[in-house]
Amino acid sequence: MKSVFNQHSHPSDQPAVALTGLAVSYNGEPALESISLQIPPGLRVAVVGPNGAGKSTLFKALAGLLRPAAGKVRIHGHAPAQHLCLAYVPQASQVDWNFPVSLRDVVLMGRSGQLGLLRWPAAADQRLVDESLARVQLSRLAKRQIGQLSGGQRQRMFIARALAQGADLLLLDEPLAGLDLPSQEQILKILDELRGQHITVLFATHDLQLASEHFDRILLLNRRLVAYGTPGEVLTAEHLTAAYGGHMQAIDTDQGRLLLGDSGGHAGHEGEPPHA
Amino acid sequence: MLEWLLEPLAFDFMQRGLLAAALVGVVCAVVGCYIVLRGMAFLGDALAHAILPGVALGYLASGGQRGAMFWWALAAAVASSLGIGALSRDGRLKQDTAIGIVFAGMFALGVALISTARSYAVDLSHFLFGNILGLTTQDLWLTFGVGLAVLLTVFVFYKEFLVLAFDPMLAATLRLPARFLETLLSLLTAVAIVVSLQTVGVALVVAMLVTPAATAMLLTRSLPRMMLLAALIAAASGALGLYISFYFNVASGAAIVLTCTAVFALVWLWRQARRPVKG
Repeated sequence: MKSVFNQHSHPSDQPAVALTGLAVSYNGEPALESISLQIPPGLRVAVVGPNGAGKSTLFKALAGLLRPAAGKVRIHGHAPAQHLCLAYVPQASQVDWNFPVSLRDVVLMGRSGQLGLLRWPAAADQRLVDESLARVQLSRLAKRQIGQLSGGQRQRMFIARALAQGADLLLLDEPLAGLDLPSQEQILKILDELRGQHITVLFATHDLQLASEHFDRILLLNRRLVAYGTPGEVLTAEHLTAAYGGHMQAIDTDQGRLLLGDSGGHAGHEGEPPHA
Repeated sequence: MLEWLLEPLAFDFMQRGLLAAALVGVVCAVVGCYIVLRGMAFLGDALAHAILPGVALGYLASGGQRGAMFWWALAAAVASSLGIGALSRDGRLKQDTAIGIVFAGMFALGVALISTARSYAVDLSHFLFGNILGLTTQDLWLTFGVGLAVLLTVFVFYKEFLVLAFDPMLAATLRLPARFLETLLSLLTAVAIVVSLQTVGVALVVAMLVTPAATAMLLTRSLPRMMLLAALIAAASGALGLYISFYFNVASGAAIVLTCTAVFALVWLWRQARRPVKG
């Protein structure tokens, strides 16, 4: 099964993501400035920061959807435009859920890049779609119109699409926003299962606690790169104040010291660094 | 009843008209599905109006020859859609602003050209409101050939157009040639509009693009079925509208569009009545 999903071979000495001095601006307004970092393949990275910190902008620049104002983006050593192995999962609010397609149709769309123009999906593509659906436990709902899916099912559908696409770099933009706890856990479990395949995951979230508990690295962003490292290294009072400014509140709880960000109730631990 | 149906068929012009109405209905409905799904109805209406100077120039240049006017109209539509693309490409102007500027400017140019050639005004009104009963057999073949080319193109690029309409971001990350596909879709819209000129005219063609597709969207949740249903609804409305035009002496283009609208209204009311919506 592994071989079916990872059709791309990448030079193993190259980082999955390498940014040097990346800057992106919208109409002259800087949205990201001088971001430099390297992410080795197979890691799971939470991208956190206050609203407007540039999380979505970073993802779009990685995907090659936004042109950098300065600096370089390298995905497995190449410019983003040379890659099909990268999947961007949009925020749920950006999708037209009345669109007349079924869950399976959407997952099959992931194949259209490899297929190329003028070719129709072959049996191998259909099999890949079936396997991807099975991976995220959605085989049963394959024929449903997408408007009839729950929030968690919708996110799993996009993950299946990324798998069908053969992506080994997943950019998930706030995939847990608005989901109930069981759905959140199910998605985190699916991401756990992808670990064995050297799929690199970048995951934007507001939830510092979740970031510290489920991710190998945290990338703390506020237009600039505030900190990047293990949760213990990143979630310090100094870094959090730098990212969230005066909007931080420190609350002592029985689990340690809790810091509240500006987005209302999303929390992270300070003090005893949580295990990664 | 049978007599009611057969009587108009005794006239050659009615036979040709019915065939043309059905053909144009199918072509517009299929292209219209993408227009409805992408929310491009305004672009469709604008392109329809923007071909007027092409029609006028073609008329003046060729002395009213239909085949020549078809190509002039098509050229104006293509120029307009490329112009809109160029104005809105760098993001300074929003697309609907660019559409507004090009569409009003081109339409005004068309009206100005027509006003310089007063004697042609009556014939030109056929292009504003359609003149389906004036079709020649040659027109019909042209409509058939061009319509078939449009349908084949939609079929060939089905999966790319689907991705582009549903998730432009995915289209970009999959490195689909988005600009080529966008241009191709505008081009198909332009061609569909130009072949509809004689049946419903410039002023009403947006209804052929949008109304049957919107009706079908209320009835199904699968794109291929939506296209098929839209095509059937459009072809049937075209034929029925023409019968109504024949018996009640209503302008044919208006009768066809009103039939489409009535079908939409019935379906919409039926959907409202059986809420909550189930798939």
